[in-house]
Amino acid sequence: MAHAFDNRTQLTPPSKEVRHQTLKQMFEKRDRLTQQTGHYCGVTELTLRAADPIKYERFYNKLHAAVLAARESARFVAASPGSREMGESLWGLATPEGDTLAVSLGFLSHTAIFPVSVRYMAEKEYDVNDGIEDGDVYAVSDGLTGGVPHPGDFYSFVAICYEGEIVGWAVGINHLMENGAPVSGSWATFSVDTFMDGLVCPPMRTGRKLKQESWWKAIWQRRTRAATMNILDDKMRLAGCAMVHDATHKLIKEFGLEYYKRATREIIEESRRMIVDNMHSLMVPGTYNGCAFRLVKYKGLQQIWSHADKNTLLHIRASVEPNDKGLLVDTEGSSRWGYHSYNATPGGADAALFLGMMNSFAHNTKVTAGIELAVQRHYPSGSLYNPDYEFTSNANLWAQTVSLNSIGFNAISRAMFSRGYLEEAFTVDGNWGAWQGSGQTDQGVSYGFTNFEWLGGTGRGAWCYKDGEPIVWAAWSQLATCGDAEEFESCVPPLFYLGRKLLPGYFGHGKYRGGPGNSAVHWCVKPGKHIAVTRPNGGLSCTTSVGLGMSGAYPGPGSFMISARDTNLPALIETGETPRDARELLELVDAGKLEVANLEIWKTDCPELALKDNDLFVDAAGSSGGWGDPLDRDPALVIKDLNDGMAPRYEFTANLYGIVATQDAAGVWTLDADATAARRKAMRHARLADSQSAQDWWAAERTRVLARDFIPEVREMYEQSMSFAKFDNEFRKFWQVPAAFNFPKE
Amino acid sequence: MAISTTAAAERQYILAFDAGGTMTDALLVKPDGSFTVGKAITRRDDEPRSYRESVMDAANNIGATADLVHAECVADIYCGTGMLNTVLTGNGRKVGLLVTRGFEDISVMEGGLTYLGQTQSETLHQQLHRHTRPLVDPKNVIGISERLTGGSYQGNIHLEPGHELIPVNAAQVRAAADKLLDNGCEVIGILFLYSFVDPRHEHQARDIVQDVLKARGRELPVVCSADVAPVSKENNRLKSLLFQCFAAELVRDSLMAVENEAKGFGFKGRLLTLLSYGGAVNMEYPRLYETMISGPIGGLIGAQFIADKLKLKNVVTADMGGTSFDVGLLVDGHIGITKSADIAGHRLALPMVELDSVGSGAGSVVWVDEYKRLHVGPDSAGAKVGRCFKFDRLTVTDINVVLGYVDPDYFLGGQVKLDREGAMAALEEAVAKPLGLSVYEAGAGVLDIVNTQMNDLLRTMIAAKGYDTRDFTLLYYGGAGPVHMYGFAEGIEFADVITLPWAAGFSAFGAACAEYMHRYDRGLRVLLPNGMSEAEKTTIAQQLRATWAELEQEARDEMEKEGVDPTRVKFRYGIAARYLGQLESFETSLSDGVMNGPADLQRAIDAFEQMYTKVYPEGARFPDAGYSLTAVHLEAIAPKPQPILSALPLSRREPDDSAYVGSRNVYHGGMWTPFKVYEMAALKAGNVIEGPAIIRDPMTTVVIPPKRTMSFDQYRILHYK
Repeated sequence: MAHAFDNRTQLTPPSKEVRHQTLKQMFEKRDRLTQQTGHYCGVTELTLRAADPIKYERFYNKLHAAVLAARESARFVAASPGSREMGESLWGLATPEGDTLAVSLGFLSHTAIFPVSVRYMAEKEYDVNDGIEDGDVYAVSDGLTGGVPHPGDFYSFVAICYEGEIVGWAVGINHLMENGAPVSGSWATFSVDTFMDGLVCPPMRTGRKLKQESWWKAIWQRRTRAATMNILDDKMRLAGCAMVHDATHKLIKEFGLEYYKRATREIIEESRRMIVDNMHSLMVPGTYNGCAFRLVKYKGLQQIWSHADKNTLLHIRASVEPNDKGLLVDTEGSSRWGYHSYNATPGGADAALFLGMMNSFAHNTKVTAGIELAVQRHYPSGSLYNPDYEFTSNANLWAQTVSLNSIGFNAISRAMFSRGYLEEAFTVDGNWGAWQGSGQTDQGVSYGFTNFEWLGGTGRGAWCYKDGEPIVWAAWSQLATCGDAEEFESCVPPLFYLGRKLLPGYFGHGKYRGGPGNSAVHWCVKPGKHIAVTRPNGGLSCTTSVGLGMSGAYPGPGSFMISARDTNLPALIETGETPRDARELLELVDAGKLEVANLEIWKTDCPELALKDNDLFVDAAGSSGGWGDPLDRDPALVIKDLNDGMAPRYEFTANLYGIVATQDAAGVWTLDADATAARRKAMRHARLADSQSAQDWWAAERTRVLARDFIPEVREMYEQSMSFAKFDNEFRKFWQVPAAFNFPKE
Repeated sequence: MAISTTAAAERQYILAFDAGGTMTDALLVKPDGSFTVGKAITRRDDEPRSYRESVMDAANNIGATADLVHAECVADIYCGTGMLNTVLTGNGRKVGLLVTRGFEDISVMEGGLTYLGQTQSETLHQQLHRHTRPLVDPKNVIGISERLTGGSYQGNIHLEPGHELIPVNAAQVRAAADKLLDNGCEVIGILFLYSFVDPRHEHQARDIVQDVLKARGRELPVVCSADVAPVSKENNRLKSLLFQCFAAELVRDSLMAVENEAKGFGFKGRLLTLLSYGGAVNMEYPRLYETMISGPIGGLIGAQFIADKLKLKNVVTADMGGTSFDVGLLVDGHIGITKSADIAGHRLALPMVELDSVGSGAGSVVWVDEYKRLHVGPDSAGAKVGRCFKFDRLTVTDINVVLGYVDPDYFLGGQVKLDREGAMAALEEAVAKPLGLSVYEAGAGVLDIVNTQMNDLLRTMIAAKGYDTRDFTLLYYGGAGPVHMYGFAEGIEFADVITLPWAAGFSAFGAACAEYMHRYDRGLRVLLPNGMSEAEKTTIAQQLRATWAELEQEARDEMEKEGVDPTRVKFRYGIAARYLGQLESFETSLSDGVMNGPADLQRAIDAFEQMYTKVYPEGARFPDAGYSLTAVHLEAIAPKPQPILSALPLSRREPDDSAYVGSRNVYHGGMWTPFKVYEMAALKAGNVIEGPAIIRDPMTTVVIPPKRTMSFDQYRILHYK
């Protein structure tokens, strides 16, 4: 029977006699046949499935079981909570060209890069020049050559060869806790180019016969700040790959090589067809546009690198359009690349984009590379998503591609709403938070860390028929979980939780409100020789990025961080009034109870903050948007939020929702229904009185456009977007500007 | 039938009960080797009565009395689903909870685990994920200012584990206790961070709460997480604590009442129940929530017994009772155990038989919501069966009655007459009309959905472990298992598909097969970096030996109270170890408990390495990092009488004419089809029944669809082809 790993399995020696196709030839054939026929690898008929569907399904079930088992077993080798408990890991089995055949639970869309890495190896003729043998291990973390979303995501590829021929790849991935960049942690947020991104590996062989070379351990020990964790995570990836490798060999022995080769093609083609069908049946035809923004706040931080010393407003723009092949996602009009850490590569952009696509279109299919075949992508050269400079940083690609994912996901949600799939339609958000850093204890023990908790689980946006829920959603993984404080705390010796909870009122308001976000308070005790933290989420709090709000609702408020340094915390410990979340901390400061010499609220990425005894570091993230007009919200639900403490301030709540309520001596709120009705009626009249026609609004705004009456960052954003024809046309048509009008480079 | 007790217990009875959500089964193994099953309706509000009625039924079957049986009873084991049902239906005690200040939302956030028990496709479709209903009203969760440290994953590089950062704020505890009492809380739980490392803060808070209770003249259970589940990860520990508070304390009273009932019949020992990982304990066991799923473990122990008899290596068990469908695995003869248990949408810090469930049982309520979506469960009719009996909503059993699978005149052998017309009306009203279907189409559709859910669960349970269904024998049981097997086994290739004539009482049978076994875990923080001196190793070895010695004594004392001769108790030893830096510890069984010096310590490490490399490839080893021992465990085993299954002479293939009861029409496969009906008791070893047919039994109905057969082997085990 199948077993987790049978270390008696013999590795297949390379064949000296048989000549097989090179990887390059395989890619050429794959691309040609797919292009010519419109079917994956020219598979126009699912002949194996038609001949014996039970055998075919059994074959797939075995593939699938192998990768599911790999994750469920291998993740326990890990050192990092994100990989073991949360969705920050994945194992897959791919074709020789890297097309996914089967995938475990985890951050599924990260399979998108498999073919990018393998194609690079093919083009550079790794197999011809160096040879690729059964059980060879490759490390990949480079965006350009490997398609990796960001170097914090680390991939292990294991070659599966049968009778000397490459027949597949077992791949394991996880998000590291620390990857050795100048900014410690796993998102090198202030990188200017790839040389500041930390441990970046183009596809490179690091091991043979399912075992890493000795030098590889030295790389982790010398080039990262969390060697033990990273070595164990590396072993975890390899352990899972070895299981998949082993299972694949057994499968080929059972079914035969020819069956294996044909069936794997049919499985991907079958899945592609189902996904295309799903796209057609779930979406109303048309073009779904979306845009979002991100702030790069580098001004003053990069005086050493003058070319990067500026603030940039990133324009993230995409349209989604169903067509006969599936759907087209076009990012034309997005900003150009820049000297910052938020650039993407096509592989990384795919990994982000497919997050929502897989949830929506692949959940009832075999999860394979079919999604990549059904979604056509246009990433214009020179843009944020396809830089024409080979050394861009993509250390924090993630922070902006979450918006791209959300635009795509939101398009699907709107399409489903339009088509009547109401229970599927909700406000899509990706309002995450995380923090990272490094330190050294008094004993001289160094450590690096990333805390994923508010990335692991966030509030989910409102449905079109009910409120959202807290900690139930992660746009980037199906395994939404915030993990355990006891485990995260054990990774950062001097920081201790004083709170980890929901943040009242921290959601987008509407007829149905979003699920509340979260907040944690970390307390620094005995910092040792050094500890510093950063927070790398691309200015989520000061740009409308992903918390979109739907049908008249408010968007989810952005994430933010507070550093409260040099405090009188011991006095609050005495009274038992330590702050439990971001709101409470600020209220305690306002009340004069918490004295803070250096209080900063960070709405953008912060530089490394060194912490001392009794300093506090507070974050808030994971809020989500509402659905529908707040004045349409059932007043009883507003009262419930007041009484449950979810709406912390009556005046704010009453003004927003147009309700009138009274509070009794026990603190219980009761609705005044008549006064509420009257107030809502008056508010609706006031809205009408304050409104202007769209034509008047357009005329007034056009005057600003013609005068280029914007801050420099916005002018530059327009200049960049208008350097792409599609946006240039849209802009000119909408604002009806003269032909000579432009935003000149400043 | 051909079961007897072992020679060591000749002339003594074994009683084993499976008190399911719907029926209470009493399995009585007689001194002469035969056995019988007594059955009674489960009465949640009066479990002693269910016990009494089922045991009297069993005794009556053999012409004896309950007094006689109890007087000669060597072991009386009672497994129920009372706690699970309490959680599923939300009818537990009103809990008040004290948590570390700042963690007041923990019961609502529940770590975000909203995908427990889901298939990959369900997990992937995360738009539809929902939180499980909390077991404590968020208004009754109060934060207490306190903090202890837990230590670093890298070892002793900062403050020692258990260092006090913030003392317990006594005033806050007193105020909280008063508030919770004012709010009407019936039990108070305490969960502080890192109490598994050092319980002193939880215990301090407990003492303060008890002072408040005393001052107010009240008596309430006060339960600390460190006493319930002293292991890392606060979210799982919380769920263990809440299960103990919400359900276990409520059910304990009921179980003690059952024991009194047994004593009233003259039983001289202690009533036992099963731990979720296989041992037997009495009703005073402090962590009673660990018996949460004692019913299913009974089935797995029974499966072990059958597998041993039939030389089956791997078995997947499918238990369909009144409220749920549970799937478990027996691999290489060993019951699959998991260190965290996923139960009804909750993840607990509890070693448990690895079991996955869906909330669809015979008593599950079938309903259509305002969006015209069809739902099955989670509410259950329990002993009220359905509209065909005493329940006011449509259930799966109602549909089986309407479609002819279940004979309304032969429920419990005809003791209970079911109202088919009432069931028909309920089906029309609840499902057919809202969905615009005919009554029979609607009924067939519901059964199709129920069967598909169970079918998916069977596939997933096996696939997720990397196993192949063809390497497994499906053993199905529970009152409704044989009714639905044709559906939930459809399209999956198994090595064999089997059940037993006493399928409805199989969990109780399994409980009778259990050994006396207690398990004790003791958390440690032992670091074994490379380069330790021999003296340091000796100190650690002696520390381990001393810990085991304490646990051995604890085991002997507890077992003696249960009537076991302490000199006959045997022990099995183990450690939980990991490479220094890893998060997960791996349980490693040791051949003995000898631990005197470096050589013994090395043997333990070698055993860990051996276990690790069985699961993981060489490249996953990391001995350079050194090791950490995070726990030791001890299993204490005492001898106990076991049933014996004997072979019978094989009869001819065709059943005797006397076994044929008649024929009845069943709506199967979209049409009414005549099914031959046979009497289970009259079928013999060697008989083969060809479908379409039904084998009726007072306790269950075996459905054999057209073109399928059911063969009785020498043990009268039924094989489906």
